[in-house]
Amino acid sequence: MSEAPVDLARELMVQSLAAWRVAGAVQRSRDGAIVICGARKDIRIDAAPSDPMFRWTVTIDGRKRGAISVVGVLRQVREALDPGYAASRVRVALTPLVPY
Amino acid sequence: MQADVIPISILTGFLGSGKTTILGHLLRQSGFSRTAVIINEFGEVALDHELVGASEDSFIELKTGCLCCKIRTDLVQTLQDMLQRRDAGKCSPFDRMVIETSGLADPAPILQTLMTDTSIAGRLVLGGVVATVDTVTGASTLQREDISQKQVAIADKIVLTKLDLNGPAEPALLRRLRELNAGAPVLSADRGKIDSQCLFSAGLYDPHAKSLDVNSWLAEEPRSHARHNADIQAYTLVRKEPIGAVTLTLFLETLAEHCGADLLRLKGIVNVAESPDRPAVIHGVQHVFHAPAWLKRWPSDDRSSRIVFITRRVPQRWVEALFEAIDAEVADVSVGR
Repeated sequence: MSEAPVDLARELMVQSLAAWRVAGAVQRSRDGAIVICGARKDIRIDAAPSDPMFRWTVTIDGRKRGAISVVGVLRQVREALDPGYAASRVRVALTPLVPY
Repeated sequence: MQADVIPISILTGFLGSGKTTILGHLLRQSGFSRTAVIINEFGEVALDHELVGASEDSFIELKTGCLCCKIRTDLVQTLQDMLQRRDAGKCSPFDRMVIETSGLADPAPILQTLMTDTSIAGRLVLGGVVATVDTVTGASTLQREDISQKQVAIADKIVLTKLDLNGPAEPALLRRLRELNAGAPVLSADRGKIDSQCLFSAGLYDPHAKSLDVNSWLAEEPRSHARHNADIQAYTLVRKEPIGAVTLTLFLETLAEHCGADLLRLKGIVNVAESPDRPAVIHGVQHVFHAPAWLKRWPSDDRSSRIVFITRRVPQRWVEALFEAIDAEVADVSVGR
């Protein structure tokens, strides 16, 4: 994985904490991981380039889980930090946007 | 194209904001003939039907509850019945429908119902959403009533009413409307009188020209109208570079997943990398999205992607950061990193 997705994932976490109105700070550790501290749980997000399945590893209070994309990382982080979160499943409208 | 696909528009606005007065005048205009009207009134005694002074057989009143929460199934049943009667020649042959919501109704669930119900799919196409705002009490109503803000925020067009009582709209009211929905044109009704053509031409599909008017429908404002501490915000995500289909899909899915009811409305035109000559038009209400509609060509020389967001407590910077993170990851994967 190149550096850009990691930097942008860090920025996404910063903006997400603000959007969810959740306390905490987001930092890059010396080994390049994204670390969220001062929140309800301690979270560490590592890029996992050697793994063919998961691009990220998310460690929450010591428990490791893989995430297939930054979208999966975001879901895990929100579930850990935002107790009121209930995901909405996207639905595709049946009516056409314009007549066929 | 199917010959009998009917545009359906929503007339919304807070209690006493002049919806029924406008509808009463519209029903007397020749340009508004061949329109079926559904009125939803919240209360024990329904009066609006009497006030509009119409008794056409394509005029239905839904009472006993509010459309947005209690009687959505009644709405679908009513729409089905009206379409069946029209097809069977048992009522006036309308070619447009308008729903006047109750003043307390949230228009978003009504839009969702129209988008997702299998029994009316294919027969109806979303027209515009028109919101009335009373210039006498509108400013205080917008300050006090969340539902009033939502009605304005979701609208494609806003109509100022009661100007005869209060004179021109106060700058503070106009400023508030702009904060809530900068893109929507603000029209005025003179004692309820307004041209039906300019009012209900707010949708993407123009039934008269049988064409798509994307620029008018988007009515985008390039600047953000987000305010500090404002719950409802409108802003536009603009991207000069084409957007990959995978990025767009992941982005919309994630918005729906995380924003849900706070994504009041999203509409946009997108330069999809895999389809450079045929832009995609996208539309979502809360977590319900249309499949993209593919235009035959770009409506202007501007080939940038423009996505208009109307949200509640969803910061613009979060939306931008989400898009950038997904886009960078998809780009990374596509080159095998």
